[in-house]
Amino acid sequence: MATATANRPKQNLTVDQKLQVLRELYADAPEIGKAALKNGLTTLTEELAAPGRAQTAGRIGARQGKVSELTVFLPFVKGGAKRLRGLLELLEGNFRAADAVGTVHDMRFVFVDNDTKLLFATAYDGDFDPYIEDFASKIPNAMDLWLCNFEGYPGMRNAKAAADWIANHQIAAEAWYVNSPNLTAPETRRLEKVGKAVEGLLDQIG
Amino acid sequence: MATATASRPKQDLTVEEKVKQLREAFRNAPEMARVALENALPTLKSLVMEAQSEQTESAGRIGVRLGKVSELTVIAPFAAGGAERLRTVLQLLNGNFSAGKKVGTLHDMRFVFLDNDTRFLFATAFDGEWDPYIDDFATQMPDEMDVIFSAFEGWPGIHNPKVKDWIVKHQIPADGWYVAHPDLSVAQTGRLKRIGKAVDEFLDKLNA
Repeated sequence: MATATANRPKQNLTVDQKLQVLRELYADAPEIGKAALKNGLTTLTEELAAPGRAQTAGRIGARQGKVSELTVFLPFVKGGAKRLRGLLELLEGNFRAADAVGTVHDMRFVFVDNDTKLLFATAYDGDFDPYIEDFASKIPNAMDLWLCNFEGYPGMRNAKAAADWIANHQIAAEAWYVNSPNLTAPETRRLEKVGKAVEGLLDQIG
Repeated sequence: MATATASRPKQDLTVEEKVKQLREAFRNAPEMARVALENALPTLKSLVMEAQSEQTESAGRIGVRLGKVSELTVIAPFAAGGAERLRTVLQLLNGNFSAGKKVGTLHDMRFVFLDNDTRFLFATAFDGEWDPYIDDFATQMPDEMDVIFSAFEGWPGIHNPKVKDWIVKHQIPADGWYVAHPDLSVAQTGRLKRIGKAVDEFLDKLNA
């Protein structure tokens, strides 16, 4: 399953060298791809010239600015898919327990390969290990409740083993884009308050 | 591949009825799970109540939306040579997807290579409905889309009328979708960032 992120030796090439690599690479691409490469050259050149922004989220995963990604495929135990689906249905798809963690931007739960695996993908602030520790210390029950449905899950009380288990199932994204890479979840909450206060102030003046 | 989102008929149950169902569902679960359920029940009850006021909805044609923010998750096979092409493009861009800025409704997106480079996962969070979102990509960054997505089997081209059918065919709607700030669109986040900056400058002036 896991595909290691290839190392990125191509960062040291000049823009022209990068374009050359691309042209060679697309020599045998489908027509659509070849045409797109030709048409999109101007934008591509700008993007190739701009400094790279991809970083890592510590142990595993990609980070852009302050926001990281975590993508895992977890194998269900027997009956696990049914239990998790039932749980998500009752929560109406919305896992508000994560509010307590404070560093989560979004999370999705997707049943794949005929309910044999779950894709869990999340966007969060900072590095992998502190993120998992946060879940372990703040919402261990909620975590055990959904993760107990997978093969080999050691339990959140065993935080280190749980983090290893997650990392073992994780596949680092090859590319990761965030619209506001410098906006953490707490900073977003602060801005929401500032925005409200400003509106209130303007109302008073008006 | 695709697993349909189960219908959600349980929304009309009372919280107590839901808790009962949950206990039923966990009856044959491992010991750890049953303990977790009992421990989590108090929190869970309030979550269920909250969920009733903030439930996920449809993102239009396919996918799930919470508040203003929707999810799109696609898993599809690579075309021959496609994985190598895409990996090289992504490495050369080194995460610099400034083209994404042109689509003003795009929160985040990830590209993940699966199963020894035979399949890939594309997952994104965006504002609003599915159809306008895809239309935005088609008008704002058609070439970038084709450079990337021509790596996949059967990609008809972003201008081809069949492109939406291709995406729908490979999209798997999420059964669970959480967004920390469901009421913040990309545009509103941008506005808040500007307000925050203006307020900071204002306070600096006051303190100068």
